[in-house]
Amino acid sequence: MKSRMLKRHSKLSIFLHWFNAASWMFLLATGIGLIKNPDLQPVGMWWTNLMWGLFGSGENLLMAHVTGGIVWAGVFLIYAIVGIKEVSQFFREIFSYSPIRDFMWLVKKGIQMTLGTRALEKLSAVLEKRGADPEIAAPRIPDQGFYNVGQKLFAVPSVLGGIVIAVSGIIMALSNVYFTNTGIVRWAILIHFVTVGLVFAGLLIHIYMASIAAGERPAFISMFTGSVPEDYAKHHHRLWYEEVKEQ
Amino acid sequence: MSLRVDKPISRRNFLKWTGAATAASVTTAQAPVLHALVPDKKDGAPTKIENRFSVCDMCLNKCGLIARVEDGLVTKLDPNPKFLKSRGMLCARGNAGIDQLYDPDRLKYPLLRTGKRGEGKWQRLSWDQALDHAAEKFMKIAEKYTRCGVLFTPGSDMQSTFVRWFAEVFGSYNVTTHESSCLLSRNRAYLDTFGEVPFSDILHTKYIIMAGANRFEALITPDSIDLMTAKKNGCKLVVLDPRYTKTAALADEWYAIRPGTDMAFFLALANVIISEKLYDEAYAADKLFGLDRLGDHVKQYSPEWAQGECEIPAAEIRRIARELSAAAPAAIVYPGRRTSDYVNSTQIRRAMAIVNGLLGNWDQPGGLLAARKVGLSGPELPDSPFYEDNPDDRADHGRAHMMFDEEGSIKHMRDAIIEQKPYPIKGWLAYKINPLQSVANRNKTLQMIDNLDFILTVDIAMSDTAWMSDLVLPAPSYLERQDPASGLQGSSACACVVTRDPVVPALFESKPVFWILKELAKRLDLAEYFDFTIEEYRKQQLENLSDGERALREDGVYYNPSKLYGVYEGLVYKTLSKKIELYNKRYDDMGVDPMPIYRAPRRKPSGKFRMVVGRNAYFTHCTSQNNALLHQFMPENTLWMNPNAAKRLGIRDGYKVEISSKAGKGTLKANLKEGIREDTVYMLSGFGVLSKGLTNIYGNGACMAEILEDYADEISGNMAMHETFVKVARKGA
Amino acid sequence: MKTKLAMVIDSSTCIDCKGCMAACKVENKVPANYWRNWIKRQEADFTVMKKTAGNTAEHFQPGNCMHCDIPTCVQACPTGATYKDEKDGTVKVNEKLCIGCGSCIPACPYGARYRHPQKKIVDKCDFCEHRRDRGELPACVVTCPTKARVFGNIKDPDSDAARLLKQNKTTQVINTASNTEPNIYYLNATAPLDWPVKAKIPTPIQLWGKVAKPLIWALVGINALGVLAMLGKQFIIPDDDHQEKNQREDSNEEQNA
Repeated sequence: MKSRMLKRHSKLSIFLHWFNAASWMFLLATGIGLIKNPDLQPVGMWWTNLMWGLFGSGENLLMAHVTGGIVWAGVFLIYAIVGIKEVSQFFREIFSYSPIRDFMWLVKKGIQMTLGTRALEKLSAVLEKRGADPEIAAPRIPDQGFYNVGQKLFAVPSVLGGIVIAVSGIIMALSNVYFTNTGIVRWAILIHFVTVGLVFAGLLIHIYMASIAAGERPAFISMFTGSVPEDYAKHHHRLWYEEVKEQ
Repeated sequence: MSLRVDKPISRRNFLKWTGAATAASVTTAQAPVLHALVPDKKDGAPTKIENRFSVCDMCLNKCGLIARVEDGLVTKLDPNPKFLKSRGMLCARGNAGIDQLYDPDRLKYPLLRTGKRGEGKWQRLSWDQALDHAAEKFMKIAEKYTRCGVLFTPGSDMQSTFVRWFAEVFGSYNVTTHESSCLLSRNRAYLDTFGEVPFSDILHTKYIIMAGANRFEALITPDSIDLMTAKKNGCKLVVLDPRYTKTAALADEWYAIRPGTDMAFFLALANVIISEKLYDEAYAADKLFGLDRLGDHVKQYSPEWAQGECEIPAAEIRRIARELSAAAPAAIVYPGRRTSDYVNSTQIRRAMAIVNGLLGNWDQPGGLLAARKVGLSGPELPDSPFYEDNPDDRADHGRAHMMFDEEGSIKHMRDAIIEQKPYPIKGWLAYKINPLQSVANRNKTLQMIDNLDFILTVDIAMSDTAWMSDLVLPAPSYLERQDPASGLQGSSACACVVTRDPVVPALFESKPVFWILKELAKRLDLAEYFDFTIEEYRKQQLENLSDGERALREDGVYYNPSKLYGVYEGLVYKTLSKKIELYNKRYDDMGVDPMPIYRAPRRKPSGKFRMVVGRNAYFTHCTSQNNALLHQFMPENTLWMNPNAAKRLGIRDGYKVEISSKAGKGTLKANLKEGIREDTVYMLSGFGVLSKGLTNIYGNGACMAEILEDYADEISGNMAMHETFVKVARKGA
Repeated sequence: MKTKLAMVIDSSTCIDCKGCMAACKVENKVPANYWRNWIKRQEADFTVMKKTAGNTAEHFQPGNCMHCDIPTCVQACPTGATYKDEKDGTVKVNEKLCIGCGSCIPACPYGARYRHPQKKIVDKCDFCEHRRDRGELPACVVTCPTKARVFGNIKDPDSDAARLLKQNKTTQVINTASNTEPNIYYLNATAPLDWPVKAKIPTPIQLWGKVAKPLIWALVGINALGVLAMLGKQFIIPDDDHQEKNQREDSNEEQNA
């Protein structure tokens, strides 16, 4: 059955997503490369030496990282101001949850992706026997909106984490221009590292889910074309599909 | 004061473009991260480094230095490694010379007082206006009060010789110098014992007694350095001081001697040395005059008697006398430098000189040294004019038994001006000297100022004396000057000649005093007496030193390899008896004690303290307290007090106290130290300034000159600054 | 290391004239009221010392950054801006890499570092590197009246410093809880000895190494395991039922529609 294509992402969204991805990779690589202290270096001194070698010196590496950081944060800051309408909509989307349905999605999807559909059906049988609500007990993955809860739960720390990373990064960059209280700077260093680490942890799932996981092909392609097939939308983002299918 | 590299404007724009937050305060910062993003002038790499010789002027020692000049700015003063007199060093003050050169408080152009004296209201004049005005004022005074109506006070400086010359051709006998607040008692005593004022061969001595002298702390002279070397080589150092100075702290023995009783100690030493025959009899027969009379005289001054006076145990006095004699002739009672302490300070030093005589250390290795030949020639100057209407003598004449005419007595001169006896003095030219801070009893100096019609000060900073003057003329620092040659004695290390040429051009409108005097001379019809340049003058000075000019140019110093020991070999000493005068007949003839007779210091009233005076390693006397670098070592002076004495007055460490005397009072913080006698207090000079032009220290500390009452040594007229008793009271926490 | 620059100091000849502090300040443009070097003072104990006579009881001890062999300041620095230069043994600060966090400052037992109030990065003694480049000795060494400081390469047996070290007993000023192996050696004895403090690595840096790093590792590890599990499921035990299920659902819908 040939489905029609539904427009899902604007050109700007696409650009921002890949801009973000590229910036993140660059900043992650250079940032981790800046950790010259073996006690603090999470990956290993080989990475630091590699980065120092690539950029010629530690200060060049620092320069590159700060420049990249300023560009990355700057673009999003401008977007937040200029595209305030889309940004608000995005925020509304990622901060809205239906607790029971979303929780069941997480559980069922999780089981399906690790143990398989059969396991999911087994769970359904168990739940039915226990007298659970039919909606909950059904082996069917609960409906989701524009973003499924998994995506939302990654988007939220990404955005909030991104803000924390940008602010702590700016504190560090301005430390030798403005700050006299170095306590703020030292905590900023730690917070910067921890937040990057947290988001990176989620990033691993995101990358798998968005590009490798079964059935995600259309979603991945939509991050280039901007559109998803109708039946993909129907199965994966039913609530959104219901909203826009008239158009 | 640090010199900053200019920041490029483009960094600010960069931050604006990227919209980075909080970029507002990027004004004086150097942000290496952002800095490197912007194409910038290469950090700190100067285009031109030059090294130029000069000699330091932060104290009177004139240590040779090499100034590093980068792009026309002096960035560092390093010691001249070839300079033997300083043993190749430059002390804290020497390094701070850059902050004198670039002092934001520096005098920049001629200033004429507009308000009342001390109000600090000035009007800027051009040099022509200023010099015309000064000449007019001096002529008016000369016409009404004779040429001696003008007082000249040259400070310790390589151009002061021109101030003296100007006074001479102008016709005034009234020239007083810093020495009558300082060296004169020592000079008088030793001149009258040995025939000249000796230097000490500290490097080679084996035993040295320092009474009051604080050689490790107050000025870093060659003696300071040699003393440490000598100590390392086993020399023993005994210090007598009511205060635990750094010299006391590094000594082998320290005695908190009762202030003013040094004579008792040294007469007792003489007593032991003579009674136990610890001197070299052959030497005594040959070189000492009056030994028998001295022996009879000091019989009464036993160590047991001395213990009662100076509070040093008799057994120690005896032991020290024996140890000193055993080390002789390489043993020294250190003559010291500042000896402006008691009304009998000359006789006290006579007692010390006499002990030196008994040790047989004159003109010997490890003993006292005669001046070494330096070899400078006196330049040919025209005969100075004679002024018929001039009085017979100096105004301070006759007030002290044996004043040095070339140095005078500032205390007596001041009295003469206030009393207007023997004749009025109405004008004053002060060069690089600050009597308002250096001379005891500031209120009396202010009173003297009230009696003057015209005061001209030439200085580099707005000292208190400049602040109270009518016309202030800006002089350049030593790094901007060309000076005549000067001969220096480096004791066993050398005898040398130094000079100065400008390291950098004079800043602002400052002019050296030589130029000022030359211009004044032109306006006073005395141009013919100043018809030479410093270069010509210097050339004449170096006439007989064939290698002089080259050495000064290439090494920054010229050495005369003149005789060190045995200078008087085959010669007689320059005294009446031609020997070392333990007994001074000239004194006898003048009605002065020919041998020192002990007189106890004035009794301290109960509840009061005796104030003693001393210096430290960061400031030179009462100058350089305002220096931006040196100020960081000590922003204010404090009152040293013994904790027990303080406790009785309810004073704790750091409390504000008011000290007062008959002369004046001041407020400063208490600094409780075990290392000072309970009956004694001490404060550093140079603070509690009147001048608002000394912005770093105005309002800090108290003025020592304000509190000291004015006494003078009876023989030399030297200021006696340890005779003041003060009351100390708590002023609140 | 073929070159290890160090100082051998005879503190018994120090007269606390502050010449070295002044020279350093001028030479290195050290800002007002900050210092790259110091003179510590062992005060006399007057209860022990009789007021009349008694041997020297006061001692002055010049010092500066000790260019330690186990520098705790380097251990505290996240970016490697401060490091031990293997070429000459000095502990250096790369001003362009320093982000001004000041973590190294409490990490020095000697308080040798300070945060430059204008440049806002850390500053400390560098043995006058720019002078050495010109063939000159450090300013503090040259200016000292008693020549208490001797500077040189202690790995070169011909240097004055090395010879002094070999021929004399020396003392180092060390806090026993933080022995950083300093490279200032005091000839014979020196005082005071008890003034260096325990090196304090700031809390955020300690937390990073001891808590944050393992925590992040754990978190990343868990997530990575999750991804691996899903990958495993996807490629090793594929679940074709997914497509069937979707098709079933579709047909259900079509039927229900």
